[in-house]
Amino acid sequence: MPVVVPPPDPAGLPAPAWLLQILLVFTFILHVLAMNLLLGGSVVLALSTWRAKHSEFCAKLSQRLSRALPVTMSLTITLGIAPLLFVQVLYGQAFYTASVLMAWFWLSVILLVLLAYYGLYLVQFRPEWLGAKAGVVAWISALFILAVGLLFTHNATLSISPAKWAEMYAASASGLNLNWSEPTLIPRYLHFVVAAFAVTGLGILLLAAGYRKTDAEWSAEATRYGLRWFVGATVLQFAVGLWFLVKLPQGVMMNFLGMNMVDTVVLWAGVVLAVLALLAAQRSAIGATVLVALTVTLMAVTRHRVRQMLLGEHLNVNTLPVNPQWAMFVIFAVLLVIGLAVVGWMVWQFFRASQPQQSTTA
Amino acid sequence: MEYPFWDIPLIGGGMLIGTIAILHVFVSHFAIGAGLFLVLTERKARQEGDSALLEYLKRHSTFFILVVLVFGAVSGVGIWWAIGLVHPSATSALIHIFVWAWAIEWVFFVIELLAAFIYYYGWNRLDARTHMTVGWIYFAGAWLSLLMINGILTFMLTTGRWTETGSIIDAFFNPSMLPSLVVRTAVTIALAGLYALITASAEADEALREKVVKYASKWVLVGMSIIPIGGIWYISRIPDQAREISMGGAPVVTLFAAASIIFSAFVFLATLVGPFLFPRRFHVTFAFVIVALGLMTTGVTEWVREAVRKPYIIYNYMYSNAIRAEETQKVWEQGVLGSAKWALLTEQDRHNPLVMGEKVFRFSCQSCHTVNGFNGIKFAVKGWERDFLDMQIQKLDQLKGYMPPFLGNDEERTALVEWLYSLNNAPQQTAARP
Repeated sequence: MPVVVPPPDPAGLPAPAWLLQILLVFTFILHVLAMNLLLGGSVVLALSTWRAKHSEFCAKLSQRLSRALPVTMSLTITLGIAPLLFVQVLYGQAFYTASVLMAWFWLSVILLVLLAYYGLYLVQFRPEWLGAKAGVVAWISALFILAVGLLFTHNATLSISPAKWAEMYAASASGLNLNWSEPTLIPRYLHFVVAAFAVTGLGILLLAAGYRKTDAEWSAEATRYGLRWFVGATVLQFAVGLWFLVKLPQGVMMNFLGMNMVDTVVLWAGVVLAVLALLAAQRSAIGATVLVALTVTLMAVTRHRVRQMLLGEHLNVNTLPVNPQWAMFVIFAVLLVIGLAVVGWMVWQFFRASQPQQSTTA
Repeated sequence: MEYPFWDIPLIGGGMLIGTIAILHVFVSHFAIGAGLFLVLTERKARQEGDSALLEYLKRHSTFFILVVLVFGAVSGVGIWWAIGLVHPSATSALIHIFVWAWAIEWVFFVIELLAAFIYYYGWNRLDARTHMTVGWIYFAGAWLSLLMINGILTFMLTTGRWTETGSIIDAFFNPSMLPSLVVRTAVTIALAGLYALITASAEADEALREKVVKYASKWVLVGMSIIPIGGIWYISRIPDQAREISMGGAPVVTLFAAASIIFSAFVFLATLVGPFLFPRRFHVTFAFVIVALGLMTTGVTEWVREAVRKPYIIYNYMYSNAIRAEETQKVWEQGVLGSAKWALLTEQDRHNPLVMGEKVFRFSCQSCHTVNGFNGIKFAVKGWERDFLDMQIQKLDQLKGYMPPFLGNDEERTALVEWLYSLNNAPQQTAARP
């Protein structure tokens, strides 16, 4: 079978490739951090709701998480829009092709997200009405979110495997393909899932800190609980990450093992930061969070490099025609700054008014 | 043509997008109008010191976030998902031409979303003034995101001077952009009232119910009154051919266009004689009837708006089957299967006209036609002899103005004729004839 890659869009890139790549990777990091809290959080919500009857700690954890998760879901979706936009600008030729090959599965992401989202709201708003079924609903939401992650891994791995496309399309034009034959599929997926549990562990530490004054006992137990998630997942991640690395094609793997110094340093600096985060977590949740955010950043850069290496000359964004729209970019940048200021002001107002008021009538 | 084509049996890609899009439009326009409704009604309640009305608004805003933030946001992403799968080339074109417009829309969307959460969770937390400011920020963010999307959406039908200048300003401020913005803004006001009729009619307190029902009905009537003004302006700005399609050029489209006007009139009249004149006797079932009428209006109107764009998906730039207008000569020279790499044509296929014909169909026709479902080609060509099929295909764009020209070479056309003929005629019969 020939390697068929769609030609680049004749409109050209609306900005130089380097700028779009920075925007792609940066917005992807924001999306991934929110996604980690959502994915790990929904599993912890399911576990704690399931056990809420037998443990007061779990009952409170379930209630407190259930209030945060719908907003986290919303942030995950919203922060996902920007990287999805930039990936279509830079890698549309690969992204659309991979998506069409698995079209029905890819479209099912929308339904799964919708149902998982309503499930989370149901657990938040109607726990008494659900009763014992709250745990079931929470598990359904968590499993749907885990399934969405797996479908994203299928799409991402398929997007960087141009050699498979024509054969797959010949096998089914009905959008019923998946990328199960991909050796990195499972380790790559687990790499994201385990990271999500680690970040969620940190999220629980921060949640616990918020209750230090009002509910000290719960806060202390939640701190221990969050630490267990963070430490356990991070230690496990060393094994999963290594598994992922050795499953990469050898030429790609070797770049991260000394063949390319920059790639090697970026990846292993990320690993070192994760070790430091492990040591810092006992003392400072915020310190560990900063270190983990840096790890995620370096890992996102590494992920982007893997994409570049695997696509190679089939889709080299640096050779795409550029047709810059600088004026529009400036308007975007200015509005982004204004937008962040407005959002910042609203969030500040919200947390400043920490005590609920007795009456809302003026 | 440049991308693999997703074969969706029976319903076809257009119906798939349409289903998601119509539901999204019905919720997303409410999302915008509801922002104005919430903040203006909150001001009214506070000025009148009407705490019952304020309590109603809190309940209404729960309904609002469950509909808007969940279904509205997810279905909006759903449209993007669906168009990328069904029309990758056109989606790619819109993404590349408008990337910064999309990015700006995203900024407005982020503001809209956070404002919605803070407005909702801030009812008992923020002081009245700040709460209302957040409400106004929500409405501004929501309406500005409509402004951006509307510019991109209208561009698809009225590309205007962009085809010559290639300028993003010409693309965004295209001929139908402003009238469409007026219509859509009016729709948001009407839908804000329509959804409020649902929550208001479910209120237990009779005096409050009557008050809010009457009040919400005025929103519907005001919105519905502005729509025809913007509508006529809009129709005056669309291409001649698009207007002709909706006014007799294509009977089905004309029928739907008429249905759009009739359903709108029903919504107006039902609101007038129902909640406006007799708010006391209004009830939930009646509210759902008006909402159903509203959904039907949205459905047929959006369907007509999509249908009149034929034979293009992006006017004067890209045909419905993803062939760029400027590439017609090239495709004509290379043939459809020579251009469509994803047809994966083998030497074996060349000797089998039925296989080849089906591939020609997939990359020339299937973006609009299914085989035996919606707009099914099997029924369209029933009883057609080979000569007649051949003549129809050769003069496709001349005989049917809403269809693109057929760009296949002689070999491909013969194969397509053979395959189309085989749909309604048993294979042995097909094989027996020369």
